[in-house]
Amino acid sequence: MKPTNVAIDDPTSLRSTWSHRAWVASGFASVLTPLAKSAVAAADSGSVFEPLLAAYAGYVLADLASGVFHWAVDNYGGPSTPVFGSQIEAFQGHHRWPWTITRREFANNLHPLARAVIFTVLPIEALLDVMEAGAAAHAFVGICAGCVMLSQQFHAWAHEKARRVPRAVAALQAAGVLVSRQMHGAHHRPPYNINYCIVSGAWNGVLDEYKVFEAMEMILFFRFAVRPRSWSEPRPEWREEEEEAEEAAAL
Amino acid sequence: MACTSLPKHPLTLLRAPINKSSPPSPPAFPSLSNASHSQFFGIKLSASSLPNPSHSPKRSMLVFAKVSEGNVPPSFTLKDQDGKNVSLSKFKGKPVVLYFYPADETPGCTKQACAFRDSYEKFKKAGAEVVGTSGDDPSSHKAFAKKYRLPFTLLSDDGNKVRKQWGVPSDLFGTLPGRQTYVIDKNGVVRLVYNNQFQPEKHVDETLKLLQTL
Repeated sequence: MKPTNVAIDDPTSLRSTWSHRAWVASGFASVLTPLAKSAVAAADSGSVFEPLLAAYAGYVLADLASGVFHWAVDNYGGPSTPVFGSQIEAFQGHHRWPWTITRREFANNLHPLARAVIFTVLPIEALLDVMEAGAAAHAFVGICAGCVMLSQQFHAWAHEKARRVPRAVAALQAAGVLVSRQMHGAHHRPPYNINYCIVSGAWNGVLDEYKVFEAMEMILFFRFAVRPRSWSEPRPEWREEEEEAEEAAAL
Repeated sequence: MACTSLPKHPLTLLRAPINKSSPPSPPAFPSLSNASHSQFFGIKLSASSLPNPSHSPKRSMLVFAKVSEGNVPPSFTLKDQDGKNVSLSKFKGKPVVLYFYPADETPGCTKQACAFRDSYEKFKKAGAEVVGTSGDDPSSHKAFAKKYRLPFTLLSDDGNKVRKQWGVPSDLFGTLPGRQTYVIDKNGVVRLVYNNQFQPEKHVDETLKLLQTL
């Protein structure tokens, strides 16, 4: 599989199309709906503590989920894997050209996650409606799904140069609310086996200290004889390239 | 990675020892009160203060009892990385550090092998031999030893027979072969059994510490 640097070979592929925008808009709708339901239910019941706590739990879980997904696609499968193939290829390309993510337009960047969120949230919300769930449940779903969907934007901000990130975002990164450039930068070192979480990065310390992903990799290795990519150094054609060198080469 | 005192590992609950019949620790040895918390972050099943270990080596009477400190382990003959047969009895007269590891070319095992390699001179100074064993075949061992310039013997525990016979416990519901090291003194008696899956370098520290007391 010959790697293609889309930023140089196909820059239009970084722009948002109307299809991308439609997916992202629908994604936002599917996330804002449970949040609205939660707000209404909280107002009715007069209790905000539970939904706020549930929202926080959703934010915390989203960080863990981002790490697990990121670990899985970084280590297993390839471009021809069903459903996830294009994501896996994109993540591999991202390791080689990490700065490209900062060139993607908003909807272009988020639409794959928006799609996943829509198809997950709609059935869950339908079930919650049937169960007549309260404010907390809707808050959890809305915030968790929202953070998952926006994680790709948080990820892009973690790659952006400090001066180009909005001040509020920089403050949130410094506070550890959003994943920071340093935290995520630690992931972008071969063999890419640490700091997988990209919402706040709060789980990274625990997951890496307790070697959770290494344990999972060992189990998969002994069960299915499949080696994760992070057990080997990246192949030469997939090594990270510096932005300046690549752009200079393209001129 | 600096690990001083860690909380109990959440995955400890998932450990399943191969050996169902024997209790986790023989009550006779007072040193077990020193055994620390989680299986993943190091259990020492013995300390250096043993009552008369070399005078009365205890032979395990039960067929399925695992090899523990104070036992004389059952002998074995396995092929090394050059395909030559090697018996445990070959090492009698000098201490042996026999370490069981999950598999060649996995991150923890590589770290462990390299740690033993980097401290090999210290082991030689203590007069000890280092021997690693896993279920991989001799050609896998040969490539592994060559890639990381390992100066010691690697044995192929074909079918993991010796691992089972010695009662090396597995981790995580039996999905992961355990990482356990035995220090056997020059009389062939086990003096230390150290288990730690996810901190492989500690096996070097613990075994060297014990060897200094022999």
